[in-house]
Parts: sequence; C-alpha cells; structure tokens
Amino acid sequence: MIYLDNAATTFPKPASVLNRMLEKYLGMGVSPGRGSYDLATEAEAFVDDTRSRAAKFFGAPDPERVIFTSNATDALNIALQGMLKPGDHVVSTRLEHNSVLRPLYHLRLKGIIEYDLAPFDGSGFVDPSEIAAMIRPNTRLVVMTHASNVLGTVQRVSQVGEVCANAGVPLLIDAAQTAGVIPIDMGAWGLAGIAFTGHKSMLGPTGIGGLILSPETEIEPVRFGGTGVDSASPVHTETFPHRLECGTLNLLGIIGLYEAFSFLERETMESIRRREMALLSRLRDGLSRVSGVTLYCAEDLADHVGLLTANIRGMDPGKVGAILDGDFEIAVRVGLHCAPLVHESLATAPEGGVRFSLGPFNTEEDVDRAAFAMAEIANAVGRC
Amino acid sequence: MDDRAARYLDAGSVQQRVRLLGGKEVLLDKEGFLWRPEDWTEGVAEALAAESGIETLSDEQWRVIRFLREYFSYYGRAPLNKDLKAGLNMSIMELECLFPEGIRRGARRVAGLPNPRMCSG
Repeated sequence: MIYLDNAATTFPKPASVLNRMLEKYLGMGVSPGRGSYDLATEAEAFVDDTRSRAAKFFGAPDPERVIFTSNATDALNIALQGMLKPGDHVVSTRLEHNSVLRPLYHLRLKGIIEYDLAPFDGSGFVDPSEIAAMIRPNTRLVVMTHASNVLGTVQRVSQVGEVCANAGVPLLIDAAQTAGVIPIDMGAWGLAGIAFTGHKSMLGPTGIGGLILSPETEIEPVRFGGTGVDSASPVHTETFPHRLECGTLNLLGIIGLYEAFSFLERETMESIRRREMALLSRLRDGLSRVSGVTLYCAEDLADHVGLLTANIRGMDPGKVGAILDGDFEIAVRVGLHCAPLVHESLATAPEGGVRFSLGPFNTEEDVDRAAFAMAEIANAVGRC
Repeated sequence: MDDRAARYLDAGSVQQRVRLLGGKEVLLDKEGFLWRPEDWTEGVAEALAAESGIETLSDEQWRVIRFLREYFSYYGRAPLNKDLKAGLNMSIMELECLFPEGIRRGARRVAGLPNPRMCSG
C-alpha cells in the first residue's frame, strides 16, 4: 500500500522509536513520581527529561510549563477552556480544524465568549493585518493554526505574534501539522502557548501530545484529580506542570516522544522537510498535468508543509478515495478534513476534497503512482 | 454563531423522518439511510434507487445489492473495498460508476445497510 495520509498520522513510525519504547517500558513501566521506590523516581526523572527536551525543541523557557496531553485537540481544549473567561473575545481564522472551532463554538454557545474568524486569501494565507483589525478591547486570545491541514499553507505566525504583542493579547498556536517538520520558536515568536501532537510529523505514537505555555500565560485548570503532589489537600495542585495534569501520565507515549526527539535530531527536520517538499513539488507537478484535476492553493509551495488537496471535476471525492484505495492501493483522506470552513471558503463543501499528505518514508515512485492513478480516474469521469 | 453551525445544530445529527417508500412506511435518517434494517424490501430498494437517479435497477446492480446484504448479514459489517472486489469480481471504479451516489452513499443505502457515518469531516 502507498500511504499518503500522513497528515492524519504518520505511518509507519520509525522502528527505532517503537523498539526503544518497548525496551524502555519493559524496564521502567511504573507510575512516574507516585512512589518512593527507585524505579518510580527514575521514571519521573525520565518524564522531566522529556519535558526539558520538548521545551528546548520548541524554544520554550520553562520545562515545567510543558504539559503532557493526549494530543493537540486535548491540549487546545485545556488551553481554551482554561484561559478564557466570561465576556472574553477571541480572534481565530477560517483555516482552523475543528480542534479549535468546536471548543470555541462550545464556549460561545454557553455564553462565555464571542469570537471572530479571519479569512484566508486565495493562496491560503491569513493576512496578519486581518487579525489585527479584529482585535477588540476585550480580546483575550488569538488562536490559530500554524499550518492548514487542508491546504498545507504555513501561516505567518511570527508576524501575528508581533500583532499580538503590540495589542497585549496572548497568541496560542495549533502546531498539529508543523511540530516536527517546521522549527518553532516560542520565545522569538512571542507565543503564549503551543499545542502539538506526537503522532504526526513528530513521528511518535498516538496518544501523546503537549501544551507548552510561556511563564506569563495565565490559565486555570479544567480537570482535577490526583497528581502525586500534596495529596492531603482537597485543592488541586497549583504548581506547574501538575496544575494542568492529573491522573497517571502516559509514560509509554512520553517514552515515544522522547525517542521521537532523538530520531528527529539524528535525521534533522531540515532534511526531512527538504525531502518531503521535493516530493510534494513532484506530486503537484504530476497532478497539474492531469486534465480535470483541480488543486487548491498549490501554485507556490514555498511556505507549505507536505500536503495538498485536489479534486477531480465531475467526481465526488469520496468515490475518488475509494477507487484510489480499492484499485490502486493508495490511502488518502477525503471529505472535509475536520476543517469545514476551509472547504466552505473553497466552495468544495459539503463533499470536500482528496488530500494527499506525505511523510518521511514516501518515495518518488509513490507520488508518481498517485498522479498516474488520479489520471486514470479522471479519464473515467465521462464513462462513470 | 455562524450560520453553518446554527443550521447543523438545528437539524440535529441523527434527525429521523418517516416516509412512504415502495408502498411501505419506513424510518430514514437525515441522509436517507434506513433507520430500521427490517424496513428493507425490494420495493423500498427500488424506490431509494429511483430517488438517486436509477430508473430501473439492472441485474448487475441487484447483484451488488444482494452481495452487500448477504455480507452484512453474515459478518455484521459492510464489506471493505477489498471484500467488494473479491466478492463481486469487479473493480472499485466499476462499482462506484454503477451507482450515481457511489458505493458508500448509493449502493449501501439502496441495500438497506446502516449509514456508514464515515469520518469524512
């Protein structure tokens, strides 16, 4: 099978990551920081090492503000529900995934917040000045994706960071599609928070992600319970990271994340990105030559991650996806990609599109076969 | 509240409606899939097919419908793409082209299988 659904989750994962997860967990799979025995202390130290690696990786000043979560959606929920208060206004964008749109909508439905969504231009980018224009006196947060999971366009987050700094508004980014493939610098970009997941370009397992906060970010816990700290108190721990973590941590996932950092250090994000972008360019060129194929925001790939979305005129993307899978053994993601407003703006809703997303283990042959398959399907439209 | 969200919320995600199809009163979900499998009859299938643009179901289309029903009855789930190819000796392209709404939204609906509710979002 040719796997081109890496924006959903990268597959396969590096064997070194999986092997080390098993090895380490076999020897250290206890509850970190919850016991007085040596192994629990060692496990906690390992978790803290992983926090430090994550902080360094994302340019964050304080490892204790690295909060482990299940994934980016979980991190965004913790951040949005913990940072926003009644009467607050939020600015976001029409590029967002439901991981941002739905928590915002939920908070608005409850009468807690109001929000505005900045549009994106014909190339798939949000103009930072559009965000600046939407900031009101009661705006308490700007939250936006770092890269669209439909268009692949990498947003000008550092410029938005300047806008937010000037307005005194925190900026939270959804780095689900960029963490592990685009360098992120929390300090330099003036970010209040980064939500990331471990299982996409980080090349770790599913079930682990994180919320990284700047020390200035004010946030209330939205979940409460055991932390292994100050157990006699009925009040949830106030010190970070436990303030936002409760219950036994996903140690296996954290080991996977640690090993993923090691893998990315060895292979380097730069080389992975260079390779993926060369393949993306080849795929874009191949699809461009197919009569009947429409590509979205793919003219200039300079500020993109390794994915693009296409449609075959006259054929439902759901059918295209089934044919790619069943007849060509090519796995892609079809539909709205959990980003309905992007497709609404592209006029591709409600059917959506066919998304091809590349990973570090794809080859030129993979993308050539994908372009060939799309040509075969496009040729059949008249007969179908 | 954006209009799209409001519309979706108003509609409800599992809205049901009763309709008369093929001389039988059936319960459909908002996407036109049978809510109660026992409502399916050949007459209902013909009515559902007509609504999707198939004037008369061909022998080939009936072969697909019967395969889908038999497979679902035996395994308790709809066939995967590879099961369809093996079981019907047809390509997915041929199958998708056989029903105007394709396999998942067309053939499966006419065959009375549950709404796949695939994560297309």
